[in-house]
Amino acid sequence: MTTPMIQLSGVRKSFGQVGVIQGVDIEVEDGEFSVFVGPSGCGKSTLLRMIAGLETIDGGDLILNGQRINDLPPDQRGIAMVFQSYALYPHMTVAQNIGFSLDLKKVPKAEIAREVGRVSEQLQLSELLDRRPAELSGGQRQRVAIGRAIIKRPRVILFDEPLSNLDAALRVQMRAELQKLHQELRPTIVYVTHDQVEAMTMATRIVVLNKGRVEQWDTPIALYNNPINTFVAGFIGSPRMNLITGTITGDAMVQGFKADAGWVARLDGRSLAGSIGQSVTLGVRPEDIRPVATAAEADLEARVAIVERLGAETYLNVRNGEDTLLVRAQGDLAMTPGTSVQLALNHAAFHLFDQTGAVIAA
Amino acid sequence: MAAIADKRSGAYTFLAYVTLVIISIFCLLPFVWMALASVDTNAKLFLKWPDGITFEHYTKVFAEENGVRWFANSLFTVLSATVLVMIISGLGGYALSRSRAWWKQPFLYAILLIRVLPSTALLVPLYKVLLTANIGLGNMLRPITGEYYRTVMQWFGFIDGYLGLIVVLATGQLPLALWIMKIFFDGVPKDYEEAAILDGATLVQRIHRVLIPLALPGLAAAGLFTFMSAWGDFLLPLILLSSPELQTLPIGLFRAFLRVNEIDYGLLAALATIYLIPAVIAFSFARRFLVQTFSGGVKG
Repeated sequence: MTTPMIQLSGVRKSFGQVGVIQGVDIEVEDGEFSVFVGPSGCGKSTLLRMIAGLETIDGGDLILNGQRINDLPPDQRGIAMVFQSYALYPHMTVAQNIGFSLDLKKVPKAEIAREVGRVSEQLQLSELLDRRPAELSGGQRQRVAIGRAIIKRPRVILFDEPLSNLDAALRVQMRAELQKLHQELRPTIVYVTHDQVEAMTMATRIVVLNKGRVEQWDTPIALYNNPINTFVAGFIGSPRMNLITGTITGDAMVQGFKADAGWVARLDGRSLAGSIGQSVTLGVRPEDIRPVATAAEADLEARVAIVERLGAETYLNVRNGEDTLLVRAQGDLAMTPGTSVQLALNHAAFHLFDQTGAVIAA
Repeated sequence: MAAIADKRSGAYTFLAYVTLVIISIFCLLPFVWMALASVDTNAKLFLKWPDGITFEHYTKVFAEENGVRWFANSLFTVLSATVLVMIISGLGGYALSRSRAWWKQPFLYAILLIRVLPSTALLVPLYKVLLTANIGLGNMLRPITGEYYRTVMQWFGFIDGYLGLIVVLATGQLPLALWIMKIFFDGVPKDYEEAAILDGATLVQRIHRVLIPLALPGLAAAGLFTFMSAWGDFLLPLILLSSPELQTLPIGLFRAFLRVNEIDYGLLAALATIYLIPAVIAFSFARRFLVQTFSGGVKG
């Protein structure tokens, strides 16, 4: 087994009385693209800044490539960081920005120029070296910020929500560029975002954080298919998973889910005979609900509240009793709000969670 | 409808321009009088076209009066005070922006209070304090300096010395400058410094290579306000300076105006024009920084 590039064990941090990071244990392998994701205030940026050395660590160990670096100054960690604002120095040219760290180390001018040339070629910035940051587009600034990071040949590059200042189209483009960069240079990347789409598309592994703790830590598809609790279930996947409260019903042979609103769905392939009567939460992704023609095929009937026609697919916001469900139907459906619709659920794709929110194994 | 609206707005625009032109003329007239009178062979107190063009008033300021000395004194004291204020407000503004100390807000409002108090009211106690300090300093320096005592005291004395005037001028301007720099640094993201930390910059390098260039617009604004206020200050040099060789421009202008028998309007106008020029130059230098400072922080 190889040593992980970054290893956090029992890492803690408090601001005053508030525990921002409450014991985090994760590992990031060499060359991995690891994404920390979570709602705002979950501590993901603080955790990143602790790895960078911009925040002190109150407890636990931060190990980089086998060496404990809790107390090592930031510039000696071999870590580079791309900031949310990019923090490009406005009074320096692109070349000066990229070469700044070498200049501080008193590297000879000729060598700085050579290194800046190498990096700017990789990032297609060669034409822009004499410009100032104010003259660059958002995407170009981001590339300069990355250039400033990779010129140091860091072992790890940290990204703090780098795409959040860009417009939607540019964000898609920059996601692709970041992935390309990762495939070409294979740096170890730790990337923080609140956007689960960014996490899903770029990560080799995702760390889902909530209230200073790791909720789940796995590959994107594993998180999508097997969320271990309602928080992860609701956070990963867009549009978000429907979570419906109800109870387990049935007899020793067949069990079903009875929603608080009254409808019942079979629970296939599970033996829940011991849990009959237990309160549970059923998780169904919007793509696992489809409108059907007849009541015979359907699990429940609901009233259409909002219709969003996107062309290739249609989002239906439907109401059943107290529950609001989101349905993601293939193709264009011309439905009228206020009418009722028969809905069938994909029973094989059910997620069941107990009262604490933890998943009930299949 | 559109045509009526256009006509009405046309009339309004015309009225607005007429009003603005009248106000502009009102504001410009003193300057026009000053410029004309300063080159008039026969300048009078009223506005008139020059009888003949001459520059003898200007030469007189420098040749017959002690104009060069006054100008140099003004420039030296005001520039020193400005540099002092820029250094202190740069460091202090940074500290006040980044600190989370509980006394930060009270402190900021307390220094603003210094500024709103009329400085004339503080003049007597201030004079008393400076006088005491000056006597103490004098007693200390007299045995050491011997025959140079008077010269040394003219440079470093608190009363009738450059240092006293510089320190008091700077103190008066510091509250506003500290506020400007504090607010300016509030608009400079910490990211810049943290990026520099990760790049391996020491504290001195961060200040020298990152913070000072970033703070330049704010420093220019703070410096300009200091320079203009201190340059225009009349009361402090009047009270604190008595030696003729320490006189500054406004005092020279004032004394020239007070000569009972011979009010030479041409000389006064020339002196006033010379007095104006540094302020105008300072403003035109700092103008672009002012726009940047007051339209919100660092753009990058």
